[in-house]
Amino acid sequence: MALDMAKYRQIFLEESTDHLGEISHALFDLEKEMANGEAIDTLFRMAHSIKSMAASLGYDPVADLSHRMEDRMEGVRSDGRVRSQEELALLFRSLEALEAMVAAVARNEEPPVADDELLRLLAEDPSGRVPFELASPDPVGGEPKKVLC
Amino acid sequence: MARVLIADDASFMRQMIREIIEPEGHEVVGEATNGIEAVDLFNELSPDLVTMDIVMPKRSGIDAVKAIISEHPTACIVMCSALGQETLVMEALQAGARDFIVKPFKPDSVISTIANLLEKSDD
Repeated sequence: MALDMAKYRQIFLEESTDHLGEISHALFDLEKEMANGEAIDTLFRMAHSIKSMAASLGYDPVADLSHRMEDRMEGVRSDGRVRSQEELALLFRSLEALEAMVAAVARNEEPPVADDELLRLLAEDPSGRVPFELASPDPVGGEPKKVLC
Repeated sequence: MARVLIADDASFMRQMIREIIEPEGHEVVGEATNGIEAVDLFNELSPDLVTMDIVMPKRSGIDAVKAIISEHPTACIVMCSALGQETLVMEALQAGARDFIVKPFKPDSVISTIANLLEKSDD
């Protein structure tokens, strides 16, 4: 069966715009208090949600960047705090890149690919500087990856 | 055909699941936007099947599964997972979820997973 992807593109634009607003608020909260658990959790969930929507629509640059933000925030959640001003700045920079991508989708353009340095920095563990191992999102139509069972 | 509760904080995903399963004759009896609502709506509606997102506000999908299964051990719950959530999916399955579907959703896979579970439930 085929889904009406034009409808989902519109929902993506509405929801991701809301989510980017929530990420922005969360980052400003983290600027005041780097161990703000609610803000950390919000940022993680919003990145996760944008990733899932973007992957469903085949917006690979959006899915890739939000996936790396989500992974980064998983580490932040584990440590209970943003670990440095540099990490906070990196998250602000990621937000700006995501906003540019969603704006491109709104203009009916292909979202721009995030610059390699941003993706590399997001994937670095701030303690050990070891890149996370990441998989590529799989858009609708691809074979689902049942990695368990 | 089944009465289905959809639990996901993203309207995008709730609508997508609804659009995939309703043409198969399933009835979406409720939509929950967080884990607390999922448990409350399960108790209120007694659905035949639940699609449960893992990452949700207020109460995670895994916590919601644990709460539902503790009261309703035969509840039929399918987890909606994404890349990188293998450990969480395993935890949900150990907590009593029956199966999982992977985002981005492939309609045929969602339909067959639900059909297989309902068939087993009828046995």
